[in-house]
Amino acid sequence: MEQFFLFMGIGICVLMLLTLYRVVVGPTVIDRLMGVNVFGTKTTVLLLIIGVMFDRLDMFIDISLAYALLNFIVTIATSRYFQHHKTLSATGYGYSFSKREKSDD
Amino acid sequence: MIWQLDLLILSLIVLCALATISVKDLFSAAIIFGAYSFLMCLLWTEMGAVDVAFTEASVGAGVSTVLFVAAVFRTTRKVKDRGVKRYWTKGVGLLAATSVGGVLIAAVGDFPGFADPLSPASTHLSPYFITNTLTDTAVPNIVTSVLADYRGYDTMFETAVIFAAGLAVIAILRRSKTGVQHESREKVILSEGYEDTIIRLVARKMVPFMQLFALYVLAHGHHSPGGGFQGGVILGASFILIAISYDMKMLLGRMSEKWNVLLGNIGVLVYAGIGFVCLLLGANFLDYSILHRILPATDEIMARSHGMLGIETGVAIAVSAIVVSLYVNIASQGKHDKGL
Repeated sequence: MEQFFLFMGIGICVLMLLTLYRVVVGPTVIDRLMGVNVFGTKTTVLLLIIGVMFDRLDMFIDISLAYALLNFIVTIATSRYFQHHKTLSATGYGYSFSKREKSDD
Repeated sequence: MIWQLDLLILSLIVLCALATISVKDLFSAAIIFGAYSFLMCLLWTEMGAVDVAFTEASVGAGVSTVLFVAAVFRTTRKVKDRGVKRYWTKGVGLLAATSVGGVLIAAVGDFPGFADPLSPASTHLSPYFITNTLTDTAVPNIVTSVLADYRGYDTMFETAVIFAAGLAVIAILRRSKTGVQHESREKVILSEGYEDTIIRLVARKMVPFMQLFALYVLAHGHHSPGGGFQGGVILGASFILIAISYDMKMLLGRMSEKWNVLLGNIGVLVYAGIGFVCLLLGANFLDYSILHRILPATDEIMARSHGMLGIETGVAIAVSAIVVSLYVNIASQGKHDKGL
């Protein structure tokens, strides 16, 4: 059983590596944001798996709960950012300041 | 410690760190730094430092990335290329970084091994804490008792440092016109943000659970990972969620600036005040065992446990107020009109 959870943890780590590719390479911020969001979900699960392996699940479930409760705040904050700065384009960083914003600066 | 997971998580951390410093877009750097924080939490969990991991979880997921996003929101996102190639300064920087790094790597050889029972850290103080904490203080979580009781001074000044940081942000950023903040009191405060039904509904349902969870983390810190700092950060994050999903006016209607700063003061004062009560009763500063004279139905051991709960409450009040005031001032550039 110990081996089973170890392989499960390693499998999730490999999946995190695939997600990290999207986070690091991009190309747009939206891709990175989705990558980090999936990353957070995987972290929640991996924390519980480490808890089962250490045989102290009660210690680790609080940390997982904190992630489950707080993980989406960053996503909402970022969405608000793009809601205010309206222009989103598919190329480059996925974003460019509009002319009106530039004159404000 | 499971070496397979250790290796994988460490290599992911190095990748994340390299990506954070190499990406040119500040917004992307903030988001990749969020992934870095997730991985650090996993690494600490996997090494068995659950209290540190919990702090990283609450701060990394709830507050730090939001503060970065808010700061980028009020600045420009991209670095201007000045077109000047500064090879000389870059060379000096590279030389300094590599030499310091080389010295640090050379010093790693002198470290004791991981979990070495004969290392200096494990032979002097740790055995005392491990054997005597439960009989001294009746608190099963050694980290809580070391933080709040044996090393209470350190934690008190850490709280004071957090409070000073909040004051510094207010002093630098806050700009107010006289009379503006009193206008909102007569009007019925309605949110002027975007009408997002789903986000508002979910946030409204989530916030009570988050605050309840924060109180649980604060109160259960004696028995499981958690405590005042983590609970305070989660409490502050729930207020930030209100500000993001509705708008800043909604948050300031619930928790005005005056109360915010006042609560930061009260938190530090609760901590120091408990220390002074101990002093008045004739014991040393922050020596909670003397509190059994004024607390009913406690002996000297349980008094230390209750004293710890008291100062953790002070830490939670201070941290949550300061976190909210950091967000409000950074996201609105000190104007308190509208945030993200």
